Amino acid sequence: MSSALFEAFLAKIYVDAKARTKFLADPLGEAQRAGLSPEEALDLQNIDWVGLKLASRSFEKKRLRHARGKFRFLRLFGRQ
Amino acid sequence: MDRFGIGWRPELAAGILSNLHDIDVVEVIAEDYLSVPQSKMRALRTLSKQVPVVVHGVSLGMASSVPVETKRLDKLARLVEELRPEAWSEHLAFVRGGGHEIGHLAAPPRTASTIEGAAKNLTSARQIVGALPAVENIASLIDPPGSRYDEPAWISEILSLSGTELLLDLHNVYTNAVNFGFDPFDFLARIPWNQVTMIHIAGGEWITSDSSCGTRRMLDDHLHDVPVPVYDLLRAAGTRAPRPLTVILERDGLYPPIQTLLVQLQTARNALAEGRALQPRHQGVV
Repeated sequence: MSSALFEAFLAKIYVDAKARTKFLADPLGEAQRAGLSPEEALDLQNIDWVGLKLASRSFEKKRLRHARGKFRFLRLFGRQ
Repeated sequence: MDRFGIGWRPELAAGILSNLHDIDVVEVIAEDYLSVPQSKMRALRTLSKQVPVVVHGVSLGMASSVPVETKRLDKLARLVEELRPEAWSEHLAFVRGGGHEIGHLAAPPRTASTIEGAAKNLTSARQIVGALPAVENIASLIDPPGSRYDEPAWISEILSLSGTELLLDLHNVYTNAVNFGFDPFDFLARIPWNQVTMIHIAGGEWITSDSSCGTRRMLDDHLHDVPVPVYDLLRAAGTRAPRPLTVILERDGLYPPIQTLLVQLQTARNALAEGRALQPRHQGVV
């Protein structure tokens, strides 16, 4: 449980709007297609939907600030 | 002896330098100095001769089942070697996965796997950097999916396995408490206080979901003043902490005049002292 694959799946739906839309439409199917275990897929079906929307929106704003160079932590994330 | 300081930001530099008599320590963001010209490093070394400096990392992704890349730790190690700060810290967060950079601190699933991963990452950090970082609890807008532990239990397990210290962010405790409906004082009752050496205080704001009937959650944005509940938690910390604490006020934007921040620092001093006064056995710590 909580494999690297699971974390990668979370990162993807946090940052990729298209992947998030597909996930919201079919959480179990998307989790299974990503190779996650049945237990992990169930966890994702029960995800905190409000939190997912708010967190992904917040992460996107942070990334946009990085891209514009206005955010202090410009060099922090991404490949160093 | 408890100490009080401010996060070092270019916008606050002049205000901090002209008020060092009221500031015991400053915290610098590690990543601001990982790839900088020597002139900037010299300026940082000069600063460290005027006031104690602690280093705070934000991008390693310690709390992950995926190992932190050695090249990131190597850069941290060079900074620590060059600056020789009193201490360094990082977050109990994951920040990337499967090639996707999240761009900020994300709460990992609270599982045995991330406990074990964090402990391994901390061991690697100690080996490469030369010292264990203190680890900081983070705020979240989403209840981390796939979790099997609540937050105090998960943090306590990591501290127990790694033996490192906790940088307790009280605004993050408050934020998660209001977002997910737990008692922040119960949180404080369940962490190993003998491993708490640093405290962060900050402010945030409520944000609202476009859908879900306008459900609102607290965002830990460091753009607002420290709210009263955080001082209440700091007072409670004073009743529990057996060790001296270094309290850092974090502000990342919408900067007010430095005097406003110094007032908040003084309010923090008062709150912690009030808590200490209720802890007779440890009055000598204050």
